[in-house]
Amino acid sequence: MQVIENLKVKEKLFVEKLQNGLTVMIIPKKDIQKKYMIWGTNYGSNDNKFIVPGEQNVTEVPNGVAHFLEHKMFEQENGTNSLDVLTALGVNANAYTTNDHTAYLFECTDNFYEAMDELMDYVQHPYFTDENVEKEKGIIGQEISMYDDYPDWRVYLNTLEAMYHNNPIKIDITGTKETISKIDKDILYKCYNTFYHPSNMVIVISGDFQPEKILEEVKKRLITNKPSGEIKRIYPEEPASIVKKEIVQNLEVSIPMYTIGIKDVENNNEDKSFIVKKDIGIDILLNLILGRSSNLYQELYKNSIIFGEQSLSYEFGKGYAHILISGISSNPKELFTKFKYTVNKLKEEGINEEDFQRLKKMAYGNYVREYDDVQNVSRMFLADYFKGICSFDYLENIETINSEYLDQLLKDVFKEDKMVLSIVENK
Amino acid sequence: MEQFVKEIKKGIKVHILNTDKFKTNLFAMFLTKKLTREDVTKNALISMILRRGSSKMKSQEEISKKMEELYGASFDCGIDKTGDNQVLKFYIESINDNYLPHTNENTLKIIIGTLLDIAFSPYIENEGFKEEYLEQEKNNLKRRVEGKKDNKARYAIERCTEEMYKDKPFGLYKFGYIEDLDKIDGKNLYKYYKELIDTCKIDIFLSGNVGEDAEKLIDDNENIKSLKERAPDCIFPKNEDKEVKEENVVTEKMDVSQGKLVIGLDVNLNDDKQKYFTLLYNSLLGGSANSKLFQNVREKANLAYVASSSYLRYKNIIFINSGIEISNYEKALNLIKEQIEDMKQGKFTDEEIEENKKVVISAIKTIGDEQDTEVIYYFGQELTGVTVSVNDYVKIIENIKKEDILDVANRVSINTIYFLRD
Repeated sequence: MQVIENLKVKEKLFVEKLQNGLTVMIIPKKDIQKKYMIWGTNYGSNDNKFIVPGEQNVTEVPNGVAHFLEHKMFEQENGTNSLDVLTALGVNANAYTTNDHTAYLFECTDNFYEAMDELMDYVQHPYFTDENVEKEKGIIGQEISMYDDYPDWRVYLNTLEAMYHNNPIKIDITGTKETISKIDKDILYKCYNTFYHPSNMVIVISGDFQPEKILEEVKKRLITNKPSGEIKRIYPEEPASIVKKEIVQNLEVSIPMYTIGIKDVENNNEDKSFIVKKDIGIDILLNLILGRSSNLYQELYKNSIIFGEQSLSYEFGKGYAHILISGISSNPKELFTKFKYTVNKLKEEGINEEDFQRLKKMAYGNYVREYDDVQNVSRMFLADYFKGICSFDYLENIETINSEYLDQLLKDVFKEDKMVLSIVENK
Repeated sequence: MEQFVKEIKKGIKVHILNTDKFKTNLFAMFLTKKLTREDVTKNALISMILRRGSSKMKSQEEISKKMEELYGASFDCGIDKTGDNQVLKFYIESINDNYLPHTNENTLKIIIGTLLDIAFSPYIENEGFKEEYLEQEKNNLKRRVEGKKDNKARYAIERCTEEMYKDKPFGLYKFGYIEDLDKIDGKNLYKYYKELIDTCKIDIFLSGNVGEDAEKLIDDNENIKSLKERAPDCIFPKNEDKEVKEENVVTEKMDVSQGKLVIGLDVNLNDDKQKYFTLLYNSLLGGSANSKLFQNVREKANLAYVASSSYLRYKNIIFINSGIEISNYEKALNLIKEQIEDMKQGKFTDEEIEENKKVVISAIKTIGDEQDTEVIYYFGQELTGVTVSVNDYVKIIENIKKEDILDVANRVSINTIYFLRD
């Protein structure tokens, strides 16, 4: 096994790529009761158009299949449901779907190996019938309705709608009631067989473990699998321009919710430290502009335009990259105007060295903090892995950032013609 | 996982949880005060105005800069409702010096000093809170109270609580009431604040690799020295006798695409031991994926994505919570009532009991894995006066018998059925 040690957080990562292509990552945590295992596949709501290895034709599936598949994986041929089996072991089990991956996980104190048996069994044994697929449409339908009542989810999706012409990042992970009505067991099997191949998957385990022993336990439970060919994923061409500057939706809310989106170009640089550095750099820039200690934050707060910390983030993946700034505001339009003004001023005046050094320290502390909890650690390594990044690289790259780099990054990414505003407000 | 507790003055306790498991140190302080209609808004407003500045750091900008300088220490101050109390909660969490590059500062000492300064030595002008800050925080509070409706699922639970506790302290909204704001100014709020500080229960928690001198850092602090002894004006939760009344059915209309059904249950307990049984009862009813509600309402009838229940131990109530198609109201309600009835009839197997015991025990065992969870655990013991180690807690759950759960099931009655629809 390859061992990567990070001296800053005093943690070790053990990695092994097995013969069937599966990657296993283990992060031992001494003296922690909780044990965490997560098995992810590089398949999310964005992967709706692809060529199955060995086939010639393009397969296109309805929106929401990856998420639907996640729900259905728990059903077993012998009539049991793996979620029940895991819960019966006293294990906290769950699963989730994102734009680029689907993951199955559990967290426990006791019965770890029994739970591992079940998890590895159900992820490797799909069982879909016409009947069990139909019944799930009712449950997922209610999940979709639940999200329809979340204004923060609406304002987020509308931002993507305003930024992207074609990229599937803008579709809802769950699909809609209409698209899921078209899903049947054949579609589920086809997607399962294509994307749930070990070479497209990674297992991350964290807890008080001996890495070598855990690796053997994983290997024992794997069904040998023939190596698979490459999956060709087809994403539409995405113009650099935005679709529209503003989207307003009316919902019953006491105060408007907003998201500012800034569309960026895809990060397809082979050098991953380039992306890591950019990710950290944007985080620092966002805090310089609208973080709690910034002048803009103080001004907006004093005028009761904002009432607390705003959410600042940078998201990127295949064919997309964007900044999102969101929160609640009594006047999102004024906030947007002042934001743009502040960005321009910062471009002209350059980064203040003292502010930069302080926020760099904050960024460092925030990365260190991620390592205390087995769930955080495991999810972070999994999500970063699917982007080709080793999470430790964030800690190692912070020092390479200087204010000249940030000045340039600000000019390259924070472009006014790439900014959109999404608002959800009362009728 | 053990705590060291010391009463430094009457009504003021320090709890130290020394462990090297974490890369962070957590310093938390809870000020507990009896919840009343008269003071509810003032307490909420105080939790907000204190964030704006202290005698040493005159603005929130200065506080924020200081936190960033400490490698992004996180500071927060908020208000909670715990039983019939309002609790002002202060937290600062910072990276332990062992994980910081080249520092020669004692971060722990700095965060202790900073938080105590914010809580006990606020920024004052003309013998009152700064009027400008107060006006902004009144706006902020108003926005929060109005924002109660924005998360529909949470709003439904909040409304159900109000219905169950009409004209009683627990029915009060933790952020208070807009109509109170006009009467509050910088001077009278500051006067009330001083009274609060002199009469509330104070619990200070330090968790992390805090070393031998942690206790001394607190003892030597000037703000601590100036605190008076007190007989705390707070409510230590007791089991209340609950009379079974006719079900209160409430329907409210709002622009929602999904109906939110919340059912508030009373659990009439007369012995603290029964709280453990209720914990397990709740797990069986709707607390886990192997519960009656999850299995029957979601998995078998496919009526909901969320179908769960949660137990509020200080008040002995259970909330059943579910999101359903509006036209399925009757169907879902009947099915939920059937689950409550089945529990009363003892229609649950030994196997189900064992499975749910494991779920509950697993949660107990991990209390020490997260600093804030551990702090809240010990704070709960502080309020209830029931001290039980995690190992004993696990044993108690292991030894629960079917008849114990059955007994609790028959102490359960529906108080309120609340439905939010379009």
